[in-house]
Amino acid sequence: MLVDLIQNTLDGLTAGAAYALLAIGFTLIFGVLRRINLSYGPAIMLGCYAATWFHVQFQVGLLVLAALTLAATVLAGAYVERLCFAPHRDRSAIAAMVASFAIWMQLEELATLVLPNHLYAFPALYEGGPLSLGPFTLRAEALVMFAVTVLACLALQRLLYRSRFGLSVRAVIDQPVAARLVGINLPWVFVRVFAVASALGAVAGYLIVASAGQVTPMLGMWSTLKGMLAMMLGGLGSLPGAIVGGLALGLIEAHSQWFFGPQVRDLTAYFLLFALLALRPSGLWTTPRHG
Amino acid sequence: MAKSALFLILALASLPASAQRAQAELACTPSNTDFAYHCVVRLSRGGQPLPGADVSVGADMPSMPMAHNVRPVKAKPGKAPGEYQARLDLEMLGEWAVKLRLRGPVNDQLILHYDFDEKGARPVIRSGRLPRK
Amino acid sequence: MDDYVTGVLTNIGLFSFLALSAYLLLIAGEMSFGQQAFFGVGAYSGGILTAIYGLPLPVAALVAMLLGSLCAFLVGLPTLRLRGLYFAMATLAAAEMARILFELFRFQRQIGGELVGPDGTQGFRGIRWVFERGVEPAGYLALVWGLLLIALVVFLLMERSRLGATLRAIGEDPDLARSCGISVERFKLGVAAAAGALAALGGVLFAHHNTYIEPRNFDIMLGVHSLAYALIGGLGTAFGPLLGVMVDLGVLEGSRVFQGYRMIAFGGLVAILLIFRPRGLLDEKVVHWLRARFS
Repeated sequence: MLVDLIQNTLDGLTAGAAYALLAIGFTLIFGVLRRINLSYGPAIMLGCYAATWFHVQFQVGLLVLAALTLAATVLAGAYVERLCFAPHRDRSAIAAMVASFAIWMQLEELATLVLPNHLYAFPALYEGGPLSLGPFTLRAEALVMFAVTVLACLALQRLLYRSRFGLSVRAVIDQPVAARLVGINLPWVFVRVFAVASALGAVAGYLIVASAGQVTPMLGMWSTLKGMLAMMLGGLGSLPGAIVGGLALGLIEAHSQWFFGPQVRDLTAYFLLFALLALRPSGLWTTPRHG
Repeated sequence: MAKSALFLILALASLPASAQRAQAELACTPSNTDFAYHCVVRLSRGGQPLPGADVSVGADMPSMPMAHNVRPVKAKPGKAPGEYQARLDLEMLGEWAVKLRLRGPVNDQLILHYDFDEKGARPVIRSGRLPRK
Repeated sequence: MDDYVTGVLTNIGLFSFLALSAYLLLIAGEMSFGQQAFFGVGAYSGGILTAIYGLPLPVAALVAMLLGSLCAFLVGLPTLRLRGLYFAMATLAAAEMARILFELFRFQRQIGGELVGPDGTQGFRGIRWVFERGVEPAGYLALVWGLLLIALVVFLLMERSRLGATLRAIGEDPDLARSCGISVERFKLGVAAAAGALAALGGVLFAHHNTYIEPRNFDIMLGVHSLAYALIGGLGTAFGPLLGVMVDLGVLEGSRVFQGYRMIAFGGLVAILLIFRPRGLLDEKVVHWLRARFS
């Protein structure tokens, strides 16, 4: 029993690390733009599909695949920013969100046109079996996932707190009007935030796909939903919150799946989100400025 | 028009249900065109082949109902009794709910779930507890 | 009319109920990502009432609408004071909960020698009330569009009344509306309940048209599409959502010009349209202009 509990906690934290990465990207965009980017996951999916296509055609190596995923995701992210967010900067948040949904449809169809099957193999990070630590097992991918998540968080921390770009990003998050008044070039900040968020999403997507060993068209919706859920659980627009939310989501899912099965796992996550929103809409996090 | 349709429905409210339902099986092979399949429908009722029906074959995507209208095609009688042939022109691979509209000796509508891939179509067997990803 | 045209027109009618439901909340200033749940509640409850309990369709539809509005009321109660994106997320969570509950829902009875009723992820077969009464596709099309027409007339009357003005006032600026003595929360709950009933009616009709429903029918895609339809069609008049549905299902899908590329065309069209017309084709300005010209 205790062994199972600890094993589930390990598995939950592994999944949670991936959720946290997804949520950080989501949160960066929400924190800076105060917009929800539904195309976040589909852009990641397109990146993974582009890499898979290259793999199917040319059998490239792991690092090349990772680089391809990153490049294609950032490119797709830039496309989303130009078409859905730049034009609606000072206007309706709803219009921007619906536009990002429309582009989601585009990206998903584009990906499935290039690779129409329901499932494609993706080269795994590590071919061997899981590592055993006494009574527990841990997949090698999980360690990579943790390590990369920690590294990505540290890199983001440096970027946000040690660079001029980071300073302007934090200024825009905290005081958007003042940031504009002191002459921060908002459009340029937005574009770069999108690029950083997409890159983080691509890292998460690559790790998820490589540890699953496959890509499916579900990846887009899955990434958007998990990233959004983790972001909301941790508190809208807060970066440490996104990490906590991601890990919490992973833990909740792992434990409720073990006790009640996969359907109740999803049900629990959504119920928690609903309850948090209904009971503490402003208590756990700051109120939106112009959501 | 709406009122008369409603009236028709009310007037016919007490008809008995049909005695025994028809059953169908599907076998599809891919054609030369992408996403198009040559399909053979085998109809039976109570274990016996069911020839002479007027069969039209359509398809729907389970996760986006009402939005993918695959044009229903009339099936032609096939080689054996109870067999019907049709060419099904889908929009993409994946799971489709194939909709058979039967007229003639039976008046019925059957929904069959098949997974279409580059090799053909297989019936979808779904257990209650499959992870969604 | 061949089966294909009848089928497309029926689908346009069915989807319009859902788009109108999303539209009703949009003009009151709320964006719901969860109207598909009430569509599902209508489909499941209506199907159970006719297929298992043998109730006539009109009775089943009324009960389903009541149930749909009750569910929408209950979801709205704790969430309608949330604003904007928060409400959108809460409704999304509620709708996904509903979809998973449909997956867990098993309720089967022996009817005429076969098992009928919802069977979890296996879906719910044999909603054959309309079918067994020999209603031809054209007759059902007339029923769907007849009911849709009634809904549209109610909308048009409502929008020209004081109630319509109140709703738009709440949608434009809830604080201002509140300071004018309007009970914003109560109005919004009423709107949510009405939108739930409308979606549920669409669901009942969908279930009986299809004879088969399954939980996946009611996933987030359905809800977001109805929202997109309302928004591209326009928030100025109840014809807007209808126009939105027609553009996608009628022109893009029906014409088959973009076969295989339809979502690329539709997605791009919506994104570009929203840049130039953030409140849709038939927005308030256009409707005003049309009214001034033709009345």
